[in-house]
Amino acid sequence: MSLPRANYDPRRVCMNPFPNLHLGKYTRSVGVYLAGALFALANWAFLDACILSSHAHGPPDEPDYEAPVHVSFVDWVPGICSLLGYLIINLIDKDRVKGDQGFGDARAVWRARLFLFIGFALMAGGLAGSVTVLVLKYTFNHDYPEAFTYYGYANVCQNILMMLSACVLWLAQSSASEYEYNLTL
Amino acid sequence: MAAGIKTVILLSFVLAVGFLLIILSCALWSNWLPLLVALTFVLAPLPNALFSHCGADDFSAEYEGSAPADVGRFITSVVVVTGFALPIILAHSEIIRPAACVMSIIGGGLVYGTILSYTAAFKQEESDFD
Repeated sequence: MSLPRANYDPRRVCMNPFPNLHLGKYTRSVGVYLAGALFALANWAFLDACILSSHAHGPPDEPDYEAPVHVSFVDWVPGICSLLGYLIINLIDKDRVKGDQGFGDARAVWRARLFLFIGFALMAGGLAGSVTVLVLKYTFNHDYPEAFTYYGYANVCQNILMMLSACVLWLAQSSASEYEYNLTL
Repeated sequence: MAAGIKTVILLSFVLAVGFLLIILSCALWSNWLPLLVALTFVLAPLPNALFSHCGADDFSAEYEGSAPADVGRFITSVVVVTGFALPIILAHSEIIRPAACVMSIIGGGLVYGTILSYTAAFKQEESDFD
């Protein structure tokens, strides 16, 4: 008895199935627009918290009110990690990761997958870091009013939206276009 | 003739109303930060216009697979969302008044809509001469 011949490299641990979506002619542009909008929303959600923090003021009857917590550099770190991961993921050639195009050597495919892994790890690390900042700086053992825990929630929101944006962009760019005319003259 | 002299007059009128709303939202409270919204929306179609000619030749006009065009779309949508988000955030931090926020958003939307519909109205006429 012999096993059927596999159509993929059996040494690979993870398979990325690369769904081929056929949603219509404008899938790609709509997806790219959506990804850009999500990216901008993500960063503005966090910058909102920053601006709010630097303009925090108390009720008008106490002029020397001091806000208990401010957005500091720690809050910026998860966003920067996510941004780096976003850049790495989108700079990788999708055909290179698939490895079935037959161009380049096998080590190039291996390296592309390594960098893709680093990119995804950075994004997941950013998300985990933002949750960590929310828990350790804003909620755990602190009793801040809701206006200040908002900074932490905005941070989590930024990282989730950035991850969503990366997913949308990936799907939009890997969806095969039906109108593919490659004329070579 | 779909896009004639009336379209031009209407669009310029709408554009003027948009800029009027933005400038009013700055001048009424003498806080000139919402003027950034006008700048953002004026700059918004620029990346698409710049990148749309990259990577497309005569035979692949319908082929939307070029990476530079995608970069242009991405930047465009980032800038448009920035234009809408900026007054909301400024109003949230109580730097500008909520009324100024609403006025500058409506004004910015009118300006951007004018630019979009101008491009859409006069694109077809251009392609007749190709």
